[in-house]
Amino acid sequence: MTRSLVLALAFLAAEAAACGYCVEDKIASTYDHAVVTRALAQGHHVVFFHIEGSPGARRELERAASSLPGVDRDSVRLSLPTLTLSVAFDPRRVSLVELNTRLDRKLVARKLSFMPFRIMEEPADLKAVKR
Amino acid sequence: MKKLLSTIALFTLAACNPATPPDRYDVSKMDLKPAPAKVTAERHKGAFAEGAALSFGAELKALDPSPVKTVRLDTTHKIIEIAPGVKFTAWTFGDTVPGPTVRARVGDKVRFVMTNRSDEAAPGVQLMAAPMMHSMDFHAAMVSPQDKYRSIAPGQTIEFEFTLNYPGIFMYHCGTPMILEHIASGMYGAVVVDPREGYPTKADREYVVVQSEFYVKPDPQKRKVDGAPLYVLDTDRLRAAQPTHTVFNGTHNGMVKTPLAAKPGERVRMFVLNVGPSRTSSFHVVGTIFDRVWMEGNPDNQLRGMQTVLLGSSNSATVEYLIPEEGSYIMVDHHFANASQGAIGLVSTAAKPPAKDLEHHNLQASATPTDPDAVAGKLAFESKCLACHTVGEGRKLGPDVAGVTKRRDQAWLARWLKEPEKMLQTDATAKAMLKEYNNIPMPNQSLTDAEVRQYLKYFQWIDSQPAGAAKAQGGH
Repeated sequence: MTRSLVLALAFLAAEAAACGYCVEDKIASTYDHAVVTRALAQGHHVVFFHIEGSPGARRELERAASSLPGVDRDSVRLSLPTLTLSVAFDPRRVSLVELNTRLDRKLVARKLSFMPFRIMEEPADLKAVKR
Repeated sequence: MKKLLSTIALFTLAACNPATPPDRYDVSKMDLKPAPAKVTAERHKGAFAEGAALSFGAELKALDPSPVKTVRLDTTHKIIEIAPGVKFTAWTFGDTVPGPTVRARVGDKVRFVMTNRSDEAAPGVQLMAAPMMHSMDFHAAMVSPQDKYRSIAPGQTIEFEFTLNYPGIFMYHCGTPMILEHIASGMYGAVVVDPREGYPTKADREYVVVQSEFYVKPDPQKRKVDGAPLYVLDTDRLRAAQPTHTVFNGTHNGMVKTPLAAKPGERVRMFVLNVGPSRTSSFHVVGTIFDRVWMEGNPDNQLRGMQTVLLGSSNSATVEYLIPEEGSYIMVDHHFANASQGAIGLVSTAAKPPAKDLEHHNLQASATPTDPDAVAGKLAFESKCLACHTVGEGRKLGPDVAGVTKRRDQAWLARWLKEPEKMLQTDATAKAMLKEYNNIPMPNQSLTDAEVRQYLKYFQWIDSQPAGAAKAQGGH
């Protein structure tokens, strides 16, 4: 509970930061239309995570996210300046909650955690993630 | 004591004077509570730009009297031609660069709607940038950026409204990161907000001039459009603020080719916006003095008798001047490095009324080179040489360059372009030419070897065309 609250507060602070760092701008920083189109055509979803912590090497994060079960190959997009990670995944193989838990667990040693904030389940429909 | 009482009485009277004009900037009377923006997945399929308040091109339409201006500016990705032979992968508002100008009045409400249509293919062109998120940032509005200026995905539509509280000329642009790249790719335009009570002067002509920079390079994948090389954004030049083109209203020397019209004795009102994104503009009109300059387009910020107005990125000014006599009056960025990149235009008493459709995009250029070196040579020639030379139109102060590669060999031409003053001392042909052209020497332009090569490529291209087909554009 405390962890969620801290994350939420931290995220809100990031959301209120300077021009270019509000929610939609974070999405824009990793939005890849080819990934989105391919995923939605297969009935997959695209989720956008806020990264809490100081990510070090880009490669390590990308590899960790790509290796999770249910995540579409070559769909991981990462923006270090906006602390945003997006992936496409198959909801029949992994739920968003499971995906989030596995991602957190995989990078807990790096003191990183991930907070999903928008999900695309339909074309042109960016839904807020309910927690 | 008596004096003190009189002073107090005077101040009191002044304070109570019913003739004191109301404060035009009374914040208590401004609308600062616009309704929240609405984002939907509805895709608009009609025109990319709609609204009676919109003007396309330089000529500004009269104010639409409606107190609510409904404006649609959809985002698109398309190929535009920023200079002859330079076809660039642009991102747009309303499918033009710059986007259409919105005109309204203080107190008017703007009801804005935008669909992100960056994923729609333009007919016959498959080379646009990948679809991406875009947003709209109106400098004319006083609203929460997090609500109104949020980015939307391809296929989404955003609607919001705002009331215009200040008069002026305001920029609009895409605010999605990287903002620099979105602006440099063409996502900008102007909003002209007339004062509530109108302007204090009466103008015969009203024009909008938007100055902006392009940063382009030939496509590394060497893709082509209609046989011409495709140009893409050069992000290295962009970050170093080293544009390849600085232009008025989206095209290199565009208003030289199509001058703006005015008659002797007329007062011209010009709404000038410098978009940047990174250079300042030193806007000047040769042959006139600005009778009035309203900085940022607000008559309360008035200057008189100005020769030049300095505008940083996103700064603007309304300039008014008289056309004294018949002639062509040259609009120019007096930072001549910028002018030489295309920031030149004409206001001419000989100009025909502007064509109805000023849309220049996706048009095949008339005879124009496609080799990037020849294209660069053509642009340089049109910017620097037309005062003295023509292409196929006979001699001026110097010779006609049509046929020059047949009259002289490459080595001679290269030396002549590089160091004409030395040639004039030693070379018999050069000496004879000086005599033939009234002892007016060819100036040394301090050209680099690469620039000399570009000129030669352009001259070779001219001489490879059918007689009379190659024409230079511009010059004054």
